[in-house]
Amino acid sequence: MSTLLQEIEAQISGLQTQVNRQNVGVVREISDGVARVEGLTDAMMNEMLDFGGGVIGLALNLEETEVGAIILGDYLSIKEGQEVRTTGKLLQVPVGKAMLGRVVNTLGEPIDGKGPIQAETVYPVEKIAPGIIKRRSVSQPVQTGIMAVDAMIPIGRGQRELIIGDRSTGKTTIGIDTIINNARINRQAEEAGDKNHRPLYSIYVAIGQKQSNIANTLHVLEAAGALPYTIVVVAAASDSATNQYLAPFAGCAMGEWFMDNGMDALIIYDDLSKHAVAYRQVSLILKRPSGREAYPGDVFYLHSRLLERSARLSENHGNGSLTALPIIETQMGDVSAYIPTNVISITDGQIYLETDLFYQGVRPAISVGLSVSRVGSAAQIKAMKQVAGRIKGDLAQFREMAAFAQFGSDLDAKTQALIERGKRIVEVFKQPQYNPLPVEVQVAVLYAAQNNFMDDVPVDQIKDFQTRLTDFLTTRQASLMTRIAQERELKDETSAALKAAITEFKQTYR
Amino acid sequence: MRTAKQSRRDAKSLLRSCQVNGLLDEARARQAVQQVIDRKPRGYLRLLAYFKRLVQLEIARRTARVESAMDLSPEWQTRLTGNLTHTYGPGLRITFTRNAALIGGLRIAVGSDVFDGSVQGRLAVLANRF
Repeated sequence: MSTLLQEIEAQISGLQTQVNRQNVGVVREISDGVARVEGLTDAMMNEMLDFGGGVIGLALNLEETEVGAIILGDYLSIKEGQEVRTTGKLLQVPVGKAMLGRVVNTLGEPIDGKGPIQAETVYPVEKIAPGIIKRRSVSQPVQTGIMAVDAMIPIGRGQRELIIGDRSTGKTTIGIDTIINNARINRQAEEAGDKNHRPLYSIYVAIGQKQSNIANTLHVLEAAGALPYTIVVVAAASDSATNQYLAPFAGCAMGEWFMDNGMDALIIYDDLSKHAVAYRQVSLILKRPSGREAYPGDVFYLHSRLLERSARLSENHGNGSLTALPIIETQMGDVSAYIPTNVISITDGQIYLETDLFYQGVRPAISVGLSVSRVGSAAQIKAMKQVAGRIKGDLAQFREMAAFAQFGSDLDAKTQALIERGKRIVEVFKQPQYNPLPVEVQVAVLYAAQNNFMDDVPVDQIKDFQTRLTDFLTTRQASLMTRIAQERELKDETSAALKAAITEFKQTYR
Repeated sequence: MRTAKQSRRDAKSLLRSCQVNGLLDEARARQAVQQVIDRKPRGYLRLLAYFKRLVQLEIARRTARVESAMDLSPEWQTRLTGNLTHTYGPGLRITFTRNAALIGGLRIAVGSDVFDGSVQGRLAVLANRF
């Protein structure tokens, strides 16, 4: 027994008691999730502050005598005079593959009831975007599975393509379709044991959305089997403005981990209009000076620093990429409002969705004239370029001619043919939601349209023709489809085989 | 009409004029307040209120509050004074107080820096970990 006591005594005497220096402040004022703290002379910008009881704040305003901090979590328990401590850490979230298949909040905490996340790494929420040395130009495609997008507005890995449109025009659907399509491609490659395949992981950030909408989206992702390749970051409408402001940055940090580790990721910010509104709210409560439409002066920087973090890294830096699909909701189709113009100028192109087209039954309601992809054509696969090279121009001409033809004047044969072709292409591009098409099917269908196979099919039967052609090609000509997918271009013999296959189909089509 | 911003700016320059080698000179501060009261410039009440707040913060920044569970011996007090002056420079006002709630150990606060070596502090850290 005496030996035990001696051992304990020796251990106690060996213990060194350390007194750490802490930087402490006192809450002077607390309102609407924002605290003003006196003291905290050592606080850093964006540093996490410990309010005690597990409540964390974020230092956003460093003033001469006090610090303005936003509270992450429940601020009702915080009282005037309470002590606040600096932590020496910037706000960070867990990252890594362990996050895939999970639904998390702004702080990376799971909210899906599937237990804790075993993430080994954490990333700071705010990070400087990769510099010019680390980057390379976009060269690999992101297959959205939406024929109109893949053919006319191609998106490359590392690109930032804005999805913009009024409410209920199918903005979210384009993002979800892309997630579903890439999950399908990932799964097929895994099953085939394709070692050269570069999977594209997705991050969906829901900002200020209704919980019912988020639940619906989750249900769609789960039903399509896309959730295992997706991280969902949720800052719903019922969450504080602080959480809504930070959610895209948290999602971006999770995406950056994939990029930094030589993988490819896609992030969808749904949507940045609500994000700007949340930031405006936080800024006004922090008493920052307001500018146009009461947004703070740095609202452009808010979005530019977020979207600049999406990049394609060079091979010397891992060859990873982060593609961003930010969504902006316009009011009455006004793209010249403050936030839409800001984000349009930051991104590498936009997909503009029109309400009129949507109600005419053209879904996805992509406006060909206003949509553009500034860098994506470099990433488009050759086969698609071969069949879709002229489609955008043809469609633009068709729209012009169609408007002209409404006056009922006689048209020459060439114009007539252009209009008839245009009508058929518009039909071909109609696609139901959550039903992305493999790129080889898109190539084959567009090949049929471009090579006059659809000219004698009535416009109202084009969809039926397309469906049956797709069935025919995927069942009876599966090897040809696989060859197109692998070769990624239409060589002479593949082109001839495709022509023969479509001719054979047409003989049976009635 | 002088704005609050102008008053704050004036209070700051008043405080700067009351400092000698970066330290607040109490005599100058008293004199400055008296002169403002005598001259009564526009918005002087707001200026003085903000000046008082700045002086309060300046005093807090240059004051070390040493709390201990029991009274410290003169040797300990001298030793602590030496150490704190060495760390924070001369002109530090040091107050020693007894606080039985600490249970044991010391708690030293200089401005917003806190060195908490008290048993109470450690128990609080432990409680936070749960």
